Amino acid sequence: MSITTTATRYREIATEFASVLASPSTEREREQRRIAVMCLPFFVLGTFAAFVPLVVMARMSVSADPFENAGYSLEAWRTLATDSTYLTVAWNTLWFAALTTIVSVALGVAISHALEKYSLPFENVLVAVLSFPIALPGIVVAFLIVTLLGRQGLVTNLAAVFTGQSAIDLATATTVTGLFIGYVYSLVPRSTMVLRGTYAEINTDAEEAARALGAGSIETFCHVTLPQIRPGVVAAIILTFRSALAIFGTVLVLGGLTVATVRINYEISVGFDSQLAGAIGVVYFLFILTFTFASLRFVETSVVEL
Amino acid sequence: MAEVCLEGLTKRFDTELAVDGIDLAIRDGEVLGVVGPSGCGKTTTLRTLAGFETPTEGRVLIDDEDVTHVPPERRNVGLVFQSYALFDNMTVLENVAFGPKMQGIGKTERRDRARELLSMLDIDALADRAPETLSGGQQQRVGLARALAIEPDVLLLDEPMTGLDASLKERLRTELSGLLEELEVTALYVTHDQEEAMVMCDRIAVLNDGSLEQVGRPTEIYERPANRFVADFVGTSNVLPATVENGRLDLGFATFESNGFSETTDGTAVVRPDDLTLGAGPIEAIVRDRFYLGNGVRIRAELPDGESVIVGLDRTAREVTVGDPISLDLEVDRIHVLE
Repeated sequence: MSITTTATRYREIATEFASVLASPSTEREREQRRIAVMCLPFFVLGTFAAFVPLVVMARMSVSADPFENAGYSLEAWRTLATDSTYLTVAWNTLWFAALTTIVSVALGVAISHALEKYSLPFENVLVAVLSFPIALPGIVVAFLIVTLLGRQGLVTNLAAVFTGQSAIDLATATTVTGLFIGYVYSLVPRSTMVLRGTYAEINTDAEEAARALGAGSIETFCHVTLPQIRPGVVAAIILTFRSALAIFGTVLVLGGLTVATVRINYEISVGFDSQLAGAIGVVYFLFILTFTFASLRFVETSVVEL
Repeated sequence: MAEVCLEGLTKRFDTELAVDGIDLAIRDGEVLGVVGPSGCGKTTTLRTLAGFETPTEGRVLIDDEDVTHVPPERRNVGLVFQSYALFDNMTVLENVAFGPKMQGIGKTERRDRARELLSMLDIDALADRAPETLSGGQQQRVGLARALAIEPDVLLLDEPMTGLDASLKERLRTELSGLLEELEVTALYVTHDQEEAMVMCDRIAVLNDGSLEQVGRPTEIYERPANRFVADFVGTSNVLPATVENGRLDLGFATFESNGFSETTDGTAVVRPDDLTLGAGPIEAIVRDRFYLGNGVRIRAELPDGESVIVGLDRTAREVTVGDPISLDLEVDRIHVLE
């Protein structure tokens, strides 16, 4: 088939589609129109929040000029590939996000289990408190950690009183430990939100059947409950891991570890190296995209929506 | 096998009284049916026996051992659910072998036991299938095999036939009845289907509003209901005001020899539709409604005093149509008078 014929064919399809959208005559065509209208916001979002920035960042990363997209140079990519600083940043970003994700999802499972299985006193208050960190900016989370675990922090000073050690020695807010707590504090509500939805779908009869067959609480959880919430756990891991990768304010204030977001900030605002920032941004973006699509294979979309 | 005893069992959910001081015993190897309208407390009774509910008052005894506060996993009670409740992440064989696995039985032995049960229930060909690929009847068989695999002291069946189609229900009912008899397992069978209870159970307990109305063999429950609720709930009945005086039973529209009924001026006669027969009897009536049921015919006949009675007729009985005047005879020996 020649290019002209193909183009003509596509033009015909487009014309037919436009005609269907303009004046649908069957229920199927009306449904197609509704779908097209509802997809429009996603199309706009995908274009201006993903495709365009990605293209601009990619162009920026190969620009010969740091202040405008002019000329072509692979210097930023060469630096990214050969300078061990960036490998360390990538490694820090990944292991720290993975560790905090595992802990946050584990806590999310425990919290969801407690909320869905038992009638807890003041449940609404608990849920409100648990969801609270979602609304907090990372910088505020960091400040909370400082007020608890900093040199003048409540926990630090209590620990100092009980151990007789100096509060300065015991302060952990700006260490990896403080950062870890800050991350988990921000991430637990996200994992819990996803897991609570999954818990609501659990077949409780199956759990009771297991108990009647002699399984204790832990065995029932491992053999019956966990397989049922597996799609939710995978979804929570995906969502939490992506959120962990994106944390910026908390790690900027607390320090303790240099991760990708902080390094991008450094390259732009301190090093004025927009090419390198663009290259890191492209790698970061593509990694998240690949991770998300790869993970989706493990999630039944009918059970959990990401 | 075991004997079960519920002593003064009361279960309250906040302010709602679900079970109200039930005393009930299930004999060794007996199948006891529990019937009653929705919300009468039958499932709560079963769940309390299984250990999933702790009674507010009263005790649960299995073989004279007080298990009121023993958790479900240590009661050795098999549970069959209306919803089947199979483990979707396991094959049929793994489902059935799960209980023995929890009991610490070795892999070979538990698999052999599972296969034996699957074979007994004629579903051995399904051993490697996933539960979601099975029909409702097959899933219920797997659920039963799974419950039996732990060799339970007591088997609890919570409306196991609900949701199955009529023909499958009838077939499964016969099979299950034979199996329970063969295994001589002590069982509590909860159902809202009275016919199912009649077929499956050695005795039936009728619950209403959390209270026990009557316990007895199916014939006793049907033919000698303890009160008006049981008469109304179990089967169809004509409940008529009755007086027994001077050895005669007066139903208002006709009088009969009393046949040993206790004297009463404010009694209630329970007359089953089959106790009334079409023929040259003393009761004159007019057919007001006629319902063809396939295996028989039901008519509603209006009596001279304006009362109506339901009459059950054989489908081979002579054709009657709405508006026909008919004569009815009553088998006085079979009616029951509540004082």
